[in-house]
Amino acid sequence: METAMLRWGSVGFPVWAVKTTQPADWGTLVALVIFIVASMWIGWLANKAMQKSSFMQGFFLGNRGLGAWALALTATVQSGGTFMGFPSLVYSHGWVVALWICSYMVVPITGFGILGKRLAQLSRRTGAITVPDLFRARFNSPMLGLLASLLIMFYMSFMMVAQFKAGAVVMKHSWPGAGSREMAEDVPMYKLSTSGFEKLADRGVSDEVVVQLRPLEDRGFDAEKDLRAEVGKLLGEEGLKKYGDAVVGAAEQLDWQYLVGLGVFTLTVVSYTLLGGFLAAVWTDLFQSVLMLLGVLLLLVLVVTASGGPEHATQMAVERLGPTYAQGPGYDPTGTGRMFMPVSLAFSFFWVWVYSGVGSPAGMVRIMAGKGTEVIRKSIYLLAGYNLLIYLPLVVICICGRALIPDLPAGKTDSIIPELSIKTTSHLPGGSIIAGLILAAPFGAVMATVSSYLVVIASGLVRDVYQRFINPTAGTHELRRLSYLTMIGIGVIAILANIRPVAYLQVIVVFSGTGAAATFCMPAIMLAYWRRATVAGMVSAMLSGAGTMVVLYILGSRGFGSQTIGAASAFRPFYLLGVDPLLWGLLVSAVTGVIVSLLTTPPPAETITKLFDAELPAKKVPA
Amino acid sequence: MGRYTGGWLLIRMPDMSNEREDPALQSARREAWVVFAIWLLAMTYTIGYCSRYGYGREASDLKFVLGFPDWVFFGIVCPWVFCSVISLWFGATYMQDEDLGEELPEQEDELGLGG
Repeated sequence: METAMLRWGSVGFPVWAVKTTQPADWGTLVALVIFIVASMWIGWLANKAMQKSSFMQGFFLGNRGLGAWALALTATVQSGGTFMGFPSLVYSHGWVVALWICSYMVVPITGFGILGKRLAQLSRRTGAITVPDLFRARFNSPMLGLLASLLIMFYMSFMMVAQFKAGAVVMKHSWPGAGSREMAEDVPMYKLSTSGFEKLADRGVSDEVVVQLRPLEDRGFDAEKDLRAEVGKLLGEEGLKKYGDAVVGAAEQLDWQYLVGLGVFTLTVVSYTLLGGFLAAVWTDLFQSVLMLLGVLLLLVLVVTASGGPEHATQMAVERLGPTYAQGPGYDPTGTGRMFMPVSLAFSFFWVWVYSGVGSPAGMVRIMAGKGTEVIRKSIYLLAGYNLLIYLPLVVICICGRALIPDLPAGKTDSIIPELSIKTTSHLPGGSIIAGLILAAPFGAVMATVSSYLVVIASGLVRDVYQRFINPTAGTHELRRLSYLTMIGIGVIAILANIRPVAYLQVIVVFSGTGAAATFCMPAIMLAYWRRATVAGMVSAMLSGAGTMVVLYILGSRGFGSQTIGAASAFRPFYLLGVDPLLWGLLVSAVTGVIVSLLTTPPPAETITKLFDAELPAKKVPA
Repeated sequence: MGRYTGGWLLIRMPDMSNEREDPALQSARREAWVVFAIWLLAMTYTIGYCSRYGYGREASDLKFVLGFPDWVFFGIVCPWVFCSVISLWFGATYMQDEDLGEELPEQEDELGLGG
């Protein structure tokens, strides 16, 4: 220990050769079990807390009792993917990824400051407990409420199904001896890892053919046809016919460990969400957010010390990879001339993160659940501090990671944080458990995200569809039973969908996240501040925002526009003028909403007065 | 308080009087404009600075400040710290607390507006 501390004191030089990678052993699995037990306990606590009020408001809105910490750390950080895919991007492309993420400097103030106070007020004045409830009551239109609910459920379903898959894969890889430590949402369906090549030999494929297939090592494929096409290029038509099935079988990522992981993950997350509803989702989110912060700060100290600091690490990377690693548009690991971050995309991302936060239905509902304006105010600076302490340190960690682990192959960059955790803690007492806790935090993030989506989708079906349109007189007992059945049903569907996941799921997830923002951001702003907004204006704003995104994705997938920026996938958007489709979605949604509202009959004055004007003071009764 | 009868070109706001506008709405709108301005300034500075100094540099030109490449330090780290301070100011002093009003009971039909 003393030796280690002496070495730690010498920041600035490459002083410490890190030990060889060691397996995660039982540490990760123990940490995951701790997480699962803690989540169930949180669900039980939330169950106690929500019994103080009516079922619907307690289960779906936590009795509007969220405090500042809970609101700050859970309303805008929505996906475990923020922490899972992001480190891989920094490792792969270099410092320019700081530009990709930097709009998080204003996300706290925009996320709470643009709509927070007004949403909190309107939801109280209307008694709304869901976002569609709010649209319905503000515009006195059940049809608008139903449309909002259907659109939210559409977007959330894609995002949630992908999160189930991520949770299952993390569980699979946490198994001792699994040999892989990838922690990404973007998990390929087919990949020939080291164990895959061993399977090939077991299936009778000759050594000569295995050598020919080596270029495929660790390359991920979303669809079987893509893998077969690559095998065909390497082995020819005859070879493909002879060995195609064996290669596909060996590359298949969905084995029994995946299925067990999927089952355990689903059972856990559905159980604690059933127990504690909205509060359980928020509190597990808070729990993982705090753990994530502690993990990142600990890792920052360990990695910076071990690598000799970010300046030294950058200089080493620039010597090996060239100057693009330290500047825009970023290093291109494929060597095919792709630009990770041209200025137009950097500009786009200053919109994407900000307005995805403002327009996220799951974020809006959490703001509605805040105790009051004091909580919203405090959340702004608490989250500002949190973002400052977590995102820039993550960039520094991964830049330094390049010096410690310079040659992670393209298919394995998602494992940079797990690899660094294990390398830098292996010499510490209890290092395996410390590494396990750092590794388990993204698992917690995935669980929290799934439970949050479960609550929103169940509230959409039970509150916005069943209670509003099918049985308005449904009693508490019936609503409770229906909510539980809905969540269990969603869990079953998620399992079925993930046994054979659709291809290109990750790009669909990106489409869903930005699509939801393009659909709801402008309508929500008009709902809050514009008296003249009408039902027709809102419907057209929602549909035109969503439609713009769909059209740009269809055009992109058909080969329109530059193929050198953005995701390298068959399902991709058309970057019109080089900017992200979300910007066009927001623009079209705003213009359409304003024009159609002005062309249609204004809303009734009494509706507007109740929601926009001060309540008249009650007349004093003489004593 | 009658129906809107104007043609589509006549962009006027009948019945949209805001003489009695809710103070919470007024403060929320004012704060939203301030936030919008902060976002716009942060974006203009960061994207402007980084596009000028963060692209097309020679490796030999690269300078470091506190371990960060100079363009990252001045274009991203400094404004990030500044925005965090602004967020503290905004949340702690500028944004006003408001009475959000009594909550409508859940089982009641919202505002008596039907549906």
